[in-house]
Amino acid sequence: MESSDEAAVQKHRIHLRPVSLRDAAPVTLHLLPCEVPVNQPAPVGRFFTPAIRQGPAGLEVSFRGRKLRGEEVVLPPGLVGYVMVMEEKQDFSEGPENDDEQEEQELVEPPEALERNFDCFIGATASFSRFTLWGLETIPGPDAKVRGALTWPSLAAAIHSQVPED
Amino acid sequence: MARSGDCADGARARQHVFLLPECLKDASKKMKSGLMFVKLVNPCSGEGAIYLFNMCLQQLFEIKVFKEKHHSWFINQSVQSGGLLHFATPMDPLFLLLHYLIKADKEGKFQPLDQVVVDDMFPNCILLLKLPELEKLLQHVTEERGIDKKKYYKFSKEKTLKWLEKKVNQTMAALKTNNVNVGARVQSTAFFSGDQVSSDKEEDYIRYAHGLISDYISKELSDDLSKYLKLPEPSASLPNPPSKKVKLSDEPVEAKEDYTKFNTKGLKTEKKNSKMTAAQKALAKVDKSGMKSIDSFFGAKSKKKIGKI
Repeated sequence: MESSDEAAVQKHRIHLRPVSLRDAAPVTLHLLPCEVPVNQPAPVGRFFTPAIRQGPAGLEVSFRGRKLRGEEVVLPPGLVGYVMVMEEKQDFSEGPENDDEQEEQELVEPPEALERNFDCFIGATASFSRFTLWGLETIPGPDAKVRGALTWPSLAAAIHSQVPED
Repeated sequence: MARSGDCADGARARQHVFLLPECLKDASKKMKSGLMFVKLVNPCSGEGAIYLFNMCLQQLFEIKVFKEKHHSWFINQSVQSGGLLHFATPMDPLFLLLHYLIKADKEGKFQPLDQVVVDDMFPNCILLLKLPELEKLLQHVTEERGIDKKKYYKFSKEKTLKWLEKKVNQTMAALKTNNVNVGARVQSTAFFSGDQVSSDKEEDYIRYAHGLISDYISKELSDDLSKYLKLPEPSASLPNPPSKKVKLSDEPVEAKEDYTKFNTKGLKTEKKNSKMTAAQKALAKVDKSGMKSIDSFFGAKSKKKIGKI
């Protein structure tokens, strides 16, 4: 067993299951302009989605007595959206990895064993290429902060690409 | 199992909303394993930050989190608090190697890379040694010597500054093509359509680019780079103080805002705290709620440990 001292050392690895990126089902996402301090199932399709109307200047919906106005945000090209969830730790290890053994194609594995028995696993449960962005009373518009954030990947590409030789 | 009942948040596990480069999806089609999130050093703050490795294609990705206050997700038929959006973007591993090369340079001698890239706190740093073409990358920041095929490296500040200047230049070009607002003065030109301000603009771009690059290097090196680029000392008369501040007020760097929180997570000692820039400190004070989610992302074990301290 690890001592608690070892736990302070950041040696964990969280393995992202490649197979989950392949067949993640599409998901509907709404980014809401309010705090909902829980993570749990919610009857979105019963109360929220059916109330969305197409207004003169975009989408409209009423939520908790407030008017929200929204618009579709399409992810920039070259990006794929995923919803990921950590897998419950299984003490008897091995994990679901064995389940996809029957795959016909020979899959590449890194040359050495990277998974240790104290590692965790995470997998994509769904994928998306757009989401609905909601503003309180007003349409978020081109100045929405999240739209600015979406330009980060192209900026990061410039920062991290190799420099030209002399 | 009884375990899941312990979760105070509610019945469901936390869902993380991620944006990944398409190349990872394509690569996953041929992979059985080899994608993993690990914690490595943040070369700017010295704290921990999360990175993603693709060990099959030997790629390194940086993870940043966008967070805006008072936001939440509806994800199909569920609600997820926080409204976080995680970005994975390709990262130049040389920034991380540079961190270790500068650390090792205290010994003042040529050393093989596997003796340079060692870290008691972040042992996963050895994964960096598996990335391709490291020898080529290292030429940008080191003097090297070879004895019997074995290469020995020593940090070269001169070469490093030259390399960083190129980084600043290519970042500036991207800022321009992306039409990023780089400072208060640029914004003000939107109101006053004279072009007397346009000469200032170039300086704003370089300052902004310098600020972006500075997030991947130490404070000392950032100051050296500022001198090397002949950036004027930020004086009190300027309405917009140093590059960092300018950046934080602007949009694309919102992603960064949480990156900082990411890294403050590992905060343990005041000594390390002092390595944070003023902007980072301010951010850390403002809102630490993002930290919690990152904690949970990395499992309860480390959370417990931090709680004890």
